[in-house]
Amino acid sequence: MRKFIVMFLLVFLGIFLYFNLSYLPAEKMISNNVSQHYINSGVKETGSFNLVTAILFDYRAFDSLGESTIIFAAVSGIVLILSRKTLPVSSHGLTFIVKRTLGLLTPFIFLFSIYLMTHGHLSPGGGFQGGVILATISIIFCIVYGSEFDQKKFSPQTKTKLETGGALLFILMGILGVIFENGFLDNLNLFNGEPGSLISAGNIPVINLGIGLKVGAGLAIIFYSMIQKTFGEETDH
Amino acid sequence: MIYNIVFVILFILGLYTVLVKKSMIKMVIGLNIMESAIFFWVISLSNTGNLIPILQTYMEEKAVNDPVPQALILTGIVIGASTTAFLLTLIIELKKLGGSINLDHIKGLSE
Repeated sequence: MRKFIVMFLLVFLGIFLYFNLSYLPAEKMISNNVSQHYINSGVKETGSFNLVTAILFDYRAFDSLGESTIIFAAVSGIVLILSRKTLPVSSHGLTFIVKRTLGLLTPFIFLFSIYLMTHGHLSPGGGFQGGVILATISIIFCIVYGSEFDQKKFSPQTKTKLETGGALLFILMGILGVIFENGFLDNLNLFNGEPGSLISAGNIPVINLGIGLKVGAGLAIIFYSMIQKTFGEETDH
Repeated sequence: MIYNIVFVILFILGLYTVLVKKSMIKMVIGLNIMESAIFFWVISLSNTGNLIPILQTYMEEKAVNDPVPQALILTGIVIGASTTAFLLTLIIELKKLGGSINLDHIKGLSE
């Protein structure tokens, strides 16, 4: 009975939502001045062909710094809640076929994540996407080879160092902008090659690399904390 | 037009899941569906039928889609992933303390 009342109300809400949305001027979004400026002179001002990356890491780089702080806060909270003194119990991993196949594939996954991070100003991708793919390597180690293997290869201390290192690289780029250019996180003129080549667009590739390391290590830490608890509970029964 | 219809359907489905289902995991799934609906809708606003905002060369006529909503939604996706991970962590702790993730069977919550 309660289900039907909720369903009835939600159908009414959906109809009202649809008629309100259809009054919005969707086509006029493009004609505002900020977007037009980014499209017209984005490449000239930043050297990045990917305009989304140009907005994220040059015009609005300070917002991206806050965004990476949010990831840091989430990782801190999760580790604080799920922290446990005992070492994780290793699973045995999957079969021989899976282990050999992923042993061949893992270097290419790593290469793909590095490609996405360093080509963020030229093609779709960037630090966040590359970092998520980087985190899958740690997850593959944990599931396929057992969590003991993962702990041996990337210890939690290494992951913490990578995460703080990425964040510090970002902030260092900001402070270099204060010293050499006009303000915090202003684009540097150090690596300004021809736009469209790999070494161009100032400090955008460096910031992408830092963000990628930070996101990858952060997601790996989240997965590590969760899997630790799960394996521990299985042995209790 | 079609984007608005799909957005409303997805959003209502997510809200229904959050309101009706008893399992906490299903509530998180419903929140994620609502989130994805909003992301989809804002991205659809930037679509004017032109090229993607990733240029190949210096183009003379810059007929590309609006890059600002896409940058905003990239931020939103990252924050959504963070909050989802945190919610799942809280559910793990709730399972340990209350004995269940079903709202009817959590110890100390009913009666």
